[in-house]
Amino acid sequence: MTFPNTSSSTSSGTEHAMTMAEPTAVKLPPVDPLDMRPFHPDPAVSDAARHSPQQLIVRGLLGLMAKLYTWHPRLRDELRIKDGWIDLVVGIRTRSGSVRTGIRFRDGKAKAMGRIPEAVDVVLVFKSDAEVTKFLTATPTEQVLMTLRNDFYVDGNTSSLNLFVYLISRLLFRQQIKNLAKDLRNDNADRRTQAGATNPDLARQMRERADYRIATSQVDPGVKYLEDPYLRDFSLKDFPRLAKFLNRHLDHDAEVCPELPKLLTEWHRKHGFERDSKGKPWHPVLRKALAYQYVMENRRPIIHANDLIAGTTTTKETGVVVYPEGHGTMIWGELLTVPHRPLNPYGVSEETRELLHKDVFPYWSRRNFKEWVRDHYRSPLGQRIDDRFAVYFDWKTATISHTIPDFPKMLRLGTSGIIAEIEEAMAADSDEERNTTRRAFILALEGLGTYSRHLAAQAAYEAERESDPSRAAELRRLAEICSQVVVGPARTLDEAVNSVWITWVGLHMESTNAGLSMGRLDQWLQPYFEADMGKLETLEQRRAYTKRAIELVGDLMLRCTDHLPLTPDVANYYFGGSSSDQAITLGGVTPEGEDAVCDMTYIFLKVTEILSLRDPNVNARFHLGKNSQAYLKRLCEVNLITAATPSLHNDEVVGKALSRYGYEVRDVRDWAATGCVEPTLSGKHIGHTNFQMLSLVAALEMALNDGWHPLMDWKVGPSTGSIEAGDFANFDQFFEAYRQQVAFLVDRSIEYNEMLGKAHQQLRPTPLLSSLIEGTIASGKDVTYGGARYNSSGAACIGLVDVIDSMLVIQKLVFEQRVVSFADLKRAVDTNFANDPLLLAQVSHKVALFGSGNEDAVAMGNRITKMVQSLYDRYTNYRGGRYAAGFWSMSTHVSYGTLAGALPSGRLAGKPFTPGLTPTPGASPNLLDNIRDVARLDPANMPNNIAFNVKVVPSAHESRERTVDTMAAYVKSYFSLGGMQMQLNAVTSDTLRDAMVHPENYRNLLVRISGYNAYFVTLNKQMQLELIERAEYGI
Amino acid sequence: MTAILTKHEPLLLEVKGNALDDGPGIRSVVFFKGCKLSCRWCHNPESLSQNAELSFNVADCISGCTRCRGHCPEDAIMPGVGINRWACTRCFDCVPVCPSGALRQVGKPANVAELMAKLRADKPFYEASGGGVTFSGGEPTLAMELLGELAAACRAEGIHTLLETAGYFRWEPFERGVLPHLNAIYYDLKLMDSEDHRAYCGVPNERILANFKRLVELSRAGTFDLQPRIPLVPDITATEENLTAIGRFLLDVGVRQVRLLDYNPTWVDKGPQLGIANKFTELDIMRTWLPRGLAARLRQHLVDLGLEAI
Repeated sequence: MTFPNTSSSTSSGTEHAMTMAEPTAVKLPPVDPLDMRPFHPDPAVSDAARHSPQQLIVRGLLGLMAKLYTWHPRLRDELRIKDGWIDLVVGIRTRSGSVRTGIRFRDGKAKAMGRIPEAVDVVLVFKSDAEVTKFLTATPTEQVLMTLRNDFYVDGNTSSLNLFVYLISRLLFRQQIKNLAKDLRNDNADRRTQAGATNPDLARQMRERADYRIATSQVDPGVKYLEDPYLRDFSLKDFPRLAKFLNRHLDHDAEVCPELPKLLTEWHRKHGFERDSKGKPWHPVLRKALAYQYVMENRRPIIHANDLIAGTTTTKETGVVVYPEGHGTMIWGELLTVPHRPLNPYGVSEETRELLHKDVFPYWSRRNFKEWVRDHYRSPLGQRIDDRFAVYFDWKTATISHTIPDFPKMLRLGTSGIIAEIEEAMAADSDEERNTTRRAFILALEGLGTYSRHLAAQAAYEAERESDPSRAAELRRLAEICSQVVVGPARTLDEAVNSVWITWVGLHMESTNAGLSMGRLDQWLQPYFEADMGKLETLEQRRAYTKRAIELVGDLMLRCTDHLPLTPDVANYYFGGSSSDQAITLGGVTPEGEDAVCDMTYIFLKVTEILSLRDPNVNARFHLGKNSQAYLKRLCEVNLITAATPSLHNDEVVGKALSRYGYEVRDVRDWAATGCVEPTLSGKHIGHTNFQMLSLVAALEMALNDGWHPLMDWKVGPSTGSIEAGDFANFDQFFEAYRQQVAFLVDRSIEYNEMLGKAHQQLRPTPLLSSLIEGTIASGKDVTYGGARYNSSGAACIGLVDVIDSMLVIQKLVFEQRVVSFADLKRAVDTNFANDPLLLAQVSHKVALFGSGNEDAVAMGNRITKMVQSLYDRYTNYRGGRYAAGFWSMSTHVSYGTLAGALPSGRLAGKPFTPGLTPTPGASPNLLDNIRDVARLDPANMPNNIAFNVKVVPSAHESRERTVDTMAAYVKSYFSLGGMQMQLNAVTSDTLRDAMVHPENYRNLLVRISGYNAYFVTLNKQMQLELIERAEYGI
Repeated sequence: MTAILTKHEPLLLEVKGNALDDGPGIRSVVFFKGCKLSCRWCHNPESLSQNAELSFNVADCISGCTRCRGHCPEDAIMPGVGINRWACTRCFDCVPVCPSGALRQVGKPANVAELMAKLRADKPFYEASGGGVTFSGGEPTLAMELLGELAAACRAEGIHTLLETAGYFRWEPFERGVLPHLNAIYYDLKLMDSEDHRAYCGVPNERILANFKRLVELSRAGTFDLQPRIPLVPDITATEENLTAIGRFLLDVGVRQVRLLDYNPTWVDKGPQLGIANKFTELDIMRTWLPRGLAARLRQHLVDLGLEAI
């Protein structure tokens, strides 16, 4: 048996450590993609079941479960699935061996066993006896928290685990729901206590922010038609349609939509997955395209009530899309309780639950990325680490996504034009493989075209039946639009907006969206805005059209809220409150390097201001010397009114960070943010910019413990020296130990990433997306195979500042000033400083931290970021691209923080890390110290961008103009000092406290977490407190 | 005791960056230590004395820690309790050993080069916001030479300079050594009645008013801005009678705009940390914010006199 805690094969981590030369591709063992033999951990260790009391209890519980499922007809019916009877074998043991038991479901019967059964699908390995019973009687939410705390780990197929959890839940769900309701009550009571006194007046103040808007007399050269680019006369009140949609978005609970998984499963059951109906191996890209076409032809064309834009991603008001080949089966265990969980509950209808449990999930339980890798690469170490959640997380277990399609091409050519281009390439190439892929692109584009035509027919049908003449006219126009786009090119703004949306829907039906981004929509829609405006003669007409353009863009942004990502409860704690992060990027420069700010830039800003949506995630590029002060001030004003958006990027510096990859200058100038903040070259670049979240702190904990990770209780990393044994004579030796631990995590996670990349090639190529990324048609390769013009993979590295500060403490107090021995510091860290208040005080007060304006701290920051990037630099990915490090954290600075012990920096156990690379609140009372230090980190080591959070609090006594001027001054100075990215939360801690207690008054109060926006009221408690505890600076 | 007989080496309290309330834009404020006035409501009691002082914030003291005691040659510290101020010789040996920073030395000699490096670091912020450096205190003009040197160094680098003063300084050296290097002056006028001024601020006000008049004359050339400010202290300066008198004086000398500073009680806990007793802090009225209604009424009163009150 190869349980991780007994594994001693840890030397592999260091094999690359000393080579800094040319990047190399990871060599993976060859696999047969058709081989689906399951990996069964061999339970053949001597299985002398000890008759401990705990063994008897657990076996008794499983025995009861087996009896109920065997004899109770309604329960037994749960075992009857589309393919026959559920076949599931689960083992349960403790690490000490005090419990070794299991349960088998087969042929409609269940049986408990006094040992771990043969041919087991999954083994749950518990830390100790107590956790086993706890798990078997817990709510799914508690089970998730147990997973995160590493109270147990899973060896084997996680879909099987989720099915087992479902079967437990089916027995206990009534009690579970009661317990969840109790949890929710306790949670809310907790929030009230922790928030302290609140002030209802604050909600009013927040709302009133939008009532005053500043003026400008300056008009940017690219603004052709807007008389007042700030559009200060418009407010949400002027757009009743948008107000209604916004309310719907905020009021409606989401519901799981069965449409996509149903159609997808239907097609594959009929046509096969690994092999076609004749037994011939499928070409994965072709198979995907055909299945996609089937989905697009058969899904319902829905035009939402009163909408100006046709098409929906789901059949629900707000739908949750299930991607069964991604992480879909992760929701299996929660199907009965997900409507009742405290965070982000979804509705699941009886039919949907039945469909998913009996038809969809069984079919995909091993045809998903995670399990494909487990089966084909025999549960590699990199995956087993990932499964533990404590150290790193690879997003490819869910999706690649994270790119920006070539919308300008779709708008210019339509699917028919792109198909013509593909056919031309096919005619000029005789290679069968490449042409099969190209044919798949065409099939996918045709599928999208069919959907568009269905929408046109639907609009015409509804127009005939519509009694309100003005709505009937809108529907007739929609019918015209959908007959034109997406098959043909867009000619007007309403056609362009519909084309963007229908394409967007199409991309959602192909692959899970996490960070799939819309790019530079202001640039790409501006020509259609100008074309429409050019036809208007009077000022009146142009004013009316301006209003119409705001409404259309607002409608598009609200359409983007019509779905939510499928969030298993674990993600509520890991990525709390995140939507799918559909980034839109405004401003900056054109590919030619000229000022790109235009009419549509300001129209998007107006919409951002009046809607305050968490998603689309609005990003703004600011180019010093090219973009105007008026534009910068407007960005700050919108940020102030919405409290948290847009996120601000220094155009030049982002370009500088990307220069190491040798991309063409024109293409670099066309960058846009993807997901959170990460730069992607629009329409040409598969940069999977969030392939992983990696905890830099985990590596530090391992370096402090000679390779042992405390929470996992696992000697997983290489032996790099023991502090207790006095192995470190100087700071550099310890830094090297740290480097080796980071290298180990980078190596293992990249190995896993490469395997997942292969899984994507087999399971879910993306022919539609491929047809919208430059380079694929010429290369005849799907983007998952490296067909894009530019390829890369990007990491988010978490806890940078906590590591910098910890390293400074070790360097200064242990090795330079020698005020404490390393062993004593380590002992204090191990005991959470409980017996060392003096040392804790010294650590907190006597070391100049990152963000305090200290040279050594900045140097340490650059040393660590450089080291990290150089570790990634050693690799070329499976698509032929390079790896890039970024220093932003989504929300994992909270979740990883919860899972980490105390640190030498004095950060106590369980406390959040700082978000992104934001200095700790204790570093300096002076915001400018923070700003200067962050600006001095070398962008060359941070090509996947950063997230620097600043919480500013506008003074009630200051004029709006002065407040905006001050914000603009911070941003401009930070940029002129070389800072890369900055995001301002303009809200007081007191307001956040009030929102904690009175969520009803703050439905769309936006907060920037680290990179993305969330509605504060949807966050878990720890994240809410983290936001409250951030340093705040009055302005 | 010799230190008192010889000329003081000027001390600074701190440099506060990112200040938004001490002049236009984003500013760095250099706080000088020492003041000839002794206003009863002084918000920076630590800035009154020209000597370095030992501050002890008992709340930050770690229970069980007695390191300071071991380092105090006079046995003047009672950890967690306070300092025997009679015994303390202000040797500051206890400061570096205090792990939590509860013991602090207040007031350090200025090093112009270091100070300029610190001020220069924020130049991008001054430039982006129209800010600069503000000299405050204490009373910066008490260290006339240092003030002139710093102001000149700032101006030489194109940094905007602003002086906050109570106006109690010798005119000639000020006009010669400081004024040419200032872009702006915020000038406090507190009480118009000289006897009251002596009673509440420790000195009469004739010199202050005379200096102000001279500055008004010179400011007409437009080389620097001059802005009078009145701190509104309840029952002391914030009376109709006093404001009428100040208002008339301003109109007489041809000044039409005045800034009012509303009283806030944020200072009342500062004294005890330094061992400075001030009975005033026990008054309820000193422990509450200036009522908004009163502030508005007094503003209106000045407006009625014909002034612009901001």
